[in-house]
Formats: sequence, C-alpha cells, structure tokens
Amino acid sequence: MAAPLPKRIIKETERLQNEPVPGISALPHDDNARYFDVMVEGPGGSCYEGGVFNLELFLPDDYPMTAPKIRFLTRIYHPNIDRLGRICLDVLKNNWSPALQIRTILLSIQALLGAPNPEDPLNEAVAKQWKENQAEAIKTAREWTALYATAKK
Amino acid sequence: MQRLEARRGVEEQHFLARRARSHSYNPPVDLRLVDYVSSYDPNLMCPICRCPFVDPVVLAECGHCFCRECIRQSWNTQTTTYTPHGPHGDCPSCRTPARLRPRSTTNNILINMTDELIVRCPKSDEGCKAEVKRGEVQDHVNIYCGFTLVECGADHCELPVRRKDVAQGCLHYGVSCLSCRKELDKCNLDCHWRNDCPARQTECAVCKSMVFPRDLAEHSSTACAAISVPCPGAALGCSNRSTGAQARTHADTCMLAKLAPILTTQHERLEEQEAAQKQMSRKLEVLEDGFTTIQSILSPFSSDNMVDKLGTDPAPGPRPTDLPGPYSADFDLDAPASFSAPNTSAGPYASPLHHLLHMHESLRDEISRISSALSELDGRHSMQNLNENLRTREEISYIGAQLGGLQRQVHWLTSAQLHRQQAGRSPTPGSATSAGTAITDATSGAGVEAALGAVNTAATALRGAARMVNVGGREASGMRRGASEEGRTKL
Repeated sequence: MAAPLPKRIIKETERLQNEPVPGISALPHDDNARYFDVMVEGPGGSCYEGGVFNLELFLPDDYPMTAPKIRFLTRIYHPNIDRLGRICLDVLKNNWSPALQIRTILLSIQALLGAPNPEDPLNEAVAKQWKENQAEAIKTAREWTALYATAKK
Repeated sequence: MQRLEARRGVEEQHFLARRARSHSYNPPVDLRLVDYVSSYDPNLMCPICRCPFVDPVVLAECGHCFCRECIRQSWNTQTTTYTPHGPHGDCPSCRTPARLRPRSTTNNILINMTDELIVRCPKSDEGCKAEVKRGEVQDHVNIYCGFTLVECGADHCELPVRRKDVAQGCLHYGVSCLSCRKELDKCNLDCHWRNDCPARQTECAVCKSMVFPRDLAEHSSTACAAISVPCPGAALGCSNRSTGAQARTHADTCMLAKLAPILTTQHERLEEQEAAQKQMSRKLEVLEDGFTTIQSILSPFSSDNMVDKLGTDPAPGPRPTDLPGPYSADFDLDAPASFSAPNTSAGPYASPLHHLLHMHESLRDEISRISSALSELDGRHSMQNLNENLRTREEISYIGAQLGGLQRQVHWLTSAQLHRQQAGRSPTPGSATSAGTAITDATSGAGVEAALGAVNTAATALRGAARMVNVGGREASGMRRGASEEGRTKL
C-alpha cells in the first residue's frame, strides 16, 4: 500500500483547481494523484505566442524535498528544451527548494519560453542557430508553434 | 532479595513491552496529517509542508520560519555529509546559507497560535467526533479518545481493542457480517458497517443511490444528483429546474443563466446611478432655491419675470438687452446711463447663470457708487447744518446782547426810581402827594419787575431754542450715518 498522499500535494492540487494561474492548467490523473497533465500557453509577445504546450509533471515520492519531474510533450523549438522535451532549468535541478510549488515551477517554465537562454543550452543545434541567426531561429520557433502547438479545430 | 529483583526486572520488561505495543498500535499523531476545522492565516503555514507550523524554528541567518522536521528533511536530502555543527544548508525561501542550531526556536506566540487551532481527532474516520485544540490532540488520543487502540482486557489476549470496547471483554473472535458474509473480528464489525460493508449502504431518500452511512451528509448537501436546483437565471424568467449534472449542462446552454451575472451587475450599477442622480437633483433644487432668493433680494419687483425667463428659455443665447431696465429704474440716484452701459456692451451671455452673476456684479458696483454718493451727501448736509447753526448762534448771541442792554436799561431805570423814592421819603414834605407818587412808583416798580421777569423768560426760551438747534443738528447727522450703514450691510 502506497504512503498516504501528503497534505501538501492535496492542498496544491486544490489550489491549482480553485485559483488557476492564468495561461496555465494542471490536472492530476484520476488513478495517480502525483501525475499531472499540464497545459502552458506561450507567453504573449514571445515567438511562442498563441501556442498551447502540453507537459507531463510527476511528483516523486520525496516531493517536496526533491524537484518534480517535468517534460514537454509538445514539440518545441527552444535552446533549453531538447528533442525529448526535457527542460534545462536550474530550479528543476540544483536550485530546487522545497519552498517552491507546482505553480511557481510552471510559471518559471512559462518565463523560460518568454526568455530563451542560448548561453546555457540543452539543444546545441537550436542554441547555435539562436546565437548565429536569431531572426531565423525565431521564425522557425513561430513555425513550430503554429505546426505543433496550435489547438486543432 | 534476588527473587525480588528478578521479579522487578520482569515487571519492568513487561511494562516496557506493553508501552511499546501501545506505541505501535497508536503511533504519535502526525500533526501534518490532521484535518483542521478552523481556518487559519496563510502566514501560519510552513512553506515546505503547507500546514500550520509544527515545532517551528526561525533561521537566525535570514529570519525565515519552518517546521523543524521540514527543514531538517530538506537539508538531509541536500547534504549527506557528516556535519558536526548540526544540520546546515540554504534557506528554502531565500537561499541564504543557514544552520539549524539545537536551541533554535521561535517566539511562543507563534507556537501558541498554531497550537490553538482546532483540529479533528485523527480517529474521526473510525467514528470519533471530537474536535480539540491541536496542542491537546495527543493527550486526547492518549487518554480520552474511545477509538484509541489499547490492549485487550482479557487474559492471554494481546490483540488491540478500542478503548470504549475494553469493558465488553475479549472481542477477538471471528464473526461474519450479517449483511455481506465477510469474516472478521467482532471488534472490527462497527467500523466495517460504517465504512466498508457494501450491503450496509443506505439509500439516499431522493436519488435512490446507495451511500455509505458516513458519507450521507456530504452526499445530500453536494453530490446528490436528484436534488433539483433552479437555473441561475431564475430571476430573469428561466423556469427550468434540473438535477445535479443536468443542472450544470443546462447552465452552460441557458442564455438567461449566462446573462444573469451580467444583468445583476448592470442592475446594481443602475441603482447606484439612480441614487447618485437623486442626490444631484436635490443639490440642484437647493441651488435653484438659493438663486431665486438671491434674485428676490436683488430685484423684488422683477423676480417673477426673471424666473419665467429662466424657466422658459434655459438655452444659452443672446439675452434681451432691456433686462437691466427695471434695475436701472431702481437705482437712478446717479448716472443710470453708466450703469446700463457694461450690460449692453457685454452682449450675449453663455448661460443664465453667467447673466445672473454679471448682474450681481454690476449691482454690487451700483451699490458701492450709491454708498459713496450717500457719504458725500452726508458730508454736505453736515456742513450745511453747521453753517445754519453758526448763523443761529450768532443771532442768538446778538439777541442775548440786546437783551443784556435792555436788562441794564431796566436796571438803571429801577435803581433811579428807588433813589427817587428814598429821597422823597426822607424829607416828607407832603405825605399825601408823596403817598400818591409812592403808589404810582409802586405800580410802576411792579410793572418794571414784570418786564424784567418777561425778559428773563425770553432769555431762557432763547437758550432752550439754541440747545434744540444744536441737538437737532447732531441727531440728524447720526440718523443719516445709520441709514448709509444699513445700505452697506444690505449689500
């Protein structure tokens, strides 16, 4: 029998439902309250504007002492996100703090979309393109957003 | 002696074993897992476990507060190396390097506030209805709660039993549930019936669905599908009443339900506006009253005329230039032409209010001019009076001098007469004749005295007249001054 769900996860889930962050939604799976389906809208003014990106989020057993595991499911052209959707973000790795929450982490990811950081790349090809020809890279990112991250009508 | 010690040793072992067992039956209450009945301030929440602080500590380096256990756990996962000075790491809130000192603690106020929150007994799932302060919940479980597991009272039975059931003897014998035929111990039957037994579910009176007894209250208040709810747009005329899930779908489709919140806000705004308008109109009335009173004060004869004009012709436009006419008729004391000149030259007014203000201004000018004229008149009159008085006084003094001469003459006459009488009386040659002259003298003396008295009275009368002239002049000037002051205060 699995350990009872910590109060903190229940509270965070409730708060995500009751006071959702604009542009972000996270729904736990019915059969596993530690597994969330996340949707993040591309921030306005960025090359991901208008896109809706799906992510998966898993809270490990020792959450909140370790960071949640997050991965992009939607393909995205971004220097800090690789082909498998893994994210290079300090607060998900060494800089995790138990005082952070699901909502703050998702906000950080949304901010990362708004401010790509090619100096600390995960996807070398994209980062190279971003540094050498930023206009072209942004154009590609827009195309990818339109191609993969736009809601199908 | 040895036997005694051996027995004590056995007893002690027995006691320790019992305590260990009871400890394992009833692990200490984890205060982070209890349900809080009272709502609490979010500031009392540990940022790590998101529960009210349990044994809070304040990090001396940055001042952030956490549960002792939370901060210790968070640092244990970060640094596994041995730390001789106690656990240390970065503050989870601000990343300041900090250290957990053995004596680190916090203010008692914080501890008291969190310990006074009301929580539900951790055994509430099993049926305990107690709600106690968090600081006392451990005592409640250890001492009072009827659902705490204790050792069975029967001999040779070491199985746990609920405290309230101890008196019933050993309940550790197998029974089967009457309803579902499940085999279980007698002591667990109550709990089974309350929470688990599918055959013991009660039927919701409204929706006919089967509910566990413990969930009944919640079911009927929120979940029951058959309790019909009116459409949110009922106030707007939607008569639909539907149940549970249907109500939700109806609310999604019903236009009235969607409009309801908008319309209610609109309605509220409308009412606000109306109230504001009412206030404004009252203010306007008061102002209009003020204007009419001002007008009636300024022009008692033409006020009706003015009000009519204001009422029937509120639109701004050229005002009739003959309006100042009635006013100038009242103030014809000096130069009516100069009074009406600014009005006619100013031409059309932006609004009746401007016209009134302008008129008021010109009236004020007029009044000041009148008051200066009055003061001038006042001066002229006082000079005139002074001149008149001077002349009258001169006349009076002249008359007084004449009167003095007359008096002297009369005095001389009477003294001469008296001399003659005395001279006549001393020789007494003819008493008869002298007597006759004496009689005539006496009569003449009496006449002279009467004349003297008359002259005296005339003099006093003259003096009185002079005084009256003086007083009259002073009074007249005083009255004029009073009148001019009155005129000024009226403005």
